[in-house]
Amino acid sequence: MEGNVDLVPSRNSSEERHEKLYKILLEAIPSSVLLIDRYMCIVTANKNFLEKSLRSISNTIGQRVENVFPAVLLEHMDLINRIRQVFEKNYPVRGERITYRAPGVPTRIYYYSLLPFSWKARVENVLLLMEDITEYVRLSEEIRRMERHLASIVDSASDVILSTDTEGKVLTWNTAAENLSGYTFDEVKGRLFFELCSKAYQEEIKKVFSSLKGEKSSQMAEWDLLNKVDDSIPISWVCSSMKEDLSQARGIVAVGRDLTERHKFESQLRQSQKLAALGVMAGGIAHEIRNPLATCSSAAQFLMKDEPDPNFRKECAEKIQGGIRRISDIIENLLKFARSSPESGMVTVDLLSVLKETTALIANQLKIQKIEIKIVFPKTPIMIRGNTSLLQQVFMNLFMNALNAMPNGGVLTVSVKKFDIEVLVKVADTGHGIPEQQVSKLFDPFYTISSVKKGTGLGLSLCYSIVKQHLGSIEVNSVEGEGSTFAVRLPI
Amino acid sequence: MIEMEQTGERILVVDDEPDISWVLEHVLKEKGIVPKKALSGQEALELVKRDCFQMAIVDAKLPDMEGLELAKRIREVQPAVRLIMISGYYSKDEAYIQSALADGLIGGFIVKPFLNDEILKAVEVAISGEPPSQKIK
Repeated sequence: MEGNVDLVPSRNSSEERHEKLYKILLEAIPSSVLLIDRYMCIVTANKNFLEKSLRSISNTIGQRVENVFPAVLLEHMDLINRIRQVFEKNYPVRGERITYRAPGVPTRIYYYSLLPFSWKARVENVLLLMEDITEYVRLSEEIRRMERHLASIVDSASDVILSTDTEGKVLTWNTAAENLSGYTFDEVKGRLFFELCSKAYQEEIKKVFSSLKGEKSSQMAEWDLLNKVDDSIPISWVCSSMKEDLSQARGIVAVGRDLTERHKFESQLRQSQKLAALGVMAGGIAHEIRNPLATCSSAAQFLMKDEPDPNFRKECAEKIQGGIRRISDIIENLLKFARSSPESGMVTVDLLSVLKETTALIANQLKIQKIEIKIVFPKTPIMIRGNTSLLQQVFMNLFMNALNAMPNGGVLTVSVKKFDIEVLVKVADTGHGIPEQQVSKLFDPFYTISSVKKGTGLGLSLCYSIVKQHLGSIEVNSVEGEGSTFAVRLPI
Repeated sequence: MIEMEQTGERILVVDDEPDISWVLEHVLKEKGIVPKKALSGQEALELVKRDCFQMAIVDAKLPDMEGLELAKRIREVQPAVRLIMISGYYSKDEAYIQSALADGLIGGFIVKPFLNDEILKAVEVAISGEPPSQKIK
């Protein structure tokens, strides 16, 4: 009962019960409670107040308010006047905040209210309720500081950072997104994210977003963003679902990096890779073209000699025509390969015909190097989303590597297997293989196997980047002295 | 083996391109020569082991072996065979070809496409000229 003074001296059992309950309540309240009478004297002070203000009952109860609270505080709060007003108007004062510092204790912040206790229309006492909100204030300041910090991280980032709800409606949009797209946050707020991307990717984005609602936690992709003047900006995205307590996704965060510069560089790289591959193929092509040329030339010479046999004349003409057709096929294939590729042309293509065209291109080289080719393809076409020219470059690179690995002949096996959601293309050689410690570096730019020293070291890193652009993966399995197998997986 | 004992020049044509064999067959026909044809090195070696040839026209790139390799192996069986190499792959000034010419492994080298008369001239020279030197490596 420390910290309390009996209010009323009467002693019937009902009153005693009430008083006990009142005291228990008073002590249990985690706030400071003071009861003040009309003479501005303190009638009751609970334990919480005494502890916080480092006071005892004897120097508190019966004391006037101005002797209990520091003068600065009284003045600042205008406490006496306020208490007086509550007595006069019988009207509570709520929600005031004070900073209180008792001698020898750290500053505390209180939230206080003044409540009138009236009996028979007369205010007998005023209750001063002070809630210690020091920790609450500190925490909310900390939260605000963290929020400002996070906001500044998001806004200072040079990558696009945006978030959407699970439907894909934009919730946040950072400064980098504003700068890159030309759209302010207000202009895109609530719009569907996929609508801000190129048409070609919209279906795919919807699919990815809906997969992120489920089990999948993140997905990488390359989608073009449309800026305010409708230009496509290639962007590499990492989309992750925001999950609350492992339960359902609350939304999606997409972080995107502008690929314009990298694409320019890669396109130059691809072009030089092609030229390098063409250089290797030149010998085979020369051989391949000169054979039908020789046939045409000799057949023409036969005809010039006034050959009397009409059947032989016809045979010569047919040989000439056949030879020319063969040469023009070779040139057609070659041009298809050499032509620079359109950057964003993802369409539905038949993977098998891409592979067939590419194997046709290396047929001569295989013959020259005495390499046998084994092709294991399914009978029906395999349609995937991709860019023919880029895919052809991936396979050409893998074939060239295989050819380089088999200087003394061997077997090149190209197999295709279709699964539910992906197709697996394997390119296997029986060449010198790759030492184990070099396998992990294979896809790094400028890495080349020292014993070969033929390539630029960029071929496989290009393959990697192209395959990634197709949402696929590429890996290698190699046994030194036995050969290597490259496995490319592409989504169907 | 009786049918192999034909009169006139016995020539072997080795090229994996049937059209080139067709061309050479008709070029040689002007001289009344009916050549034997082989599409690979192995096939050629089998013929060489069976029949006697005065000369062989060999493509430099065969599916199973290099033309020069075949030339050596033909010589091992029949040292007196005159050899002419034709190719769409190598050019005459390449060291690989030049040294084969210098060594006498091949008596002539003709690049595809060729004039039909070049073939005829080379055949004439090869047949009427000195037998090949024996400087075989």
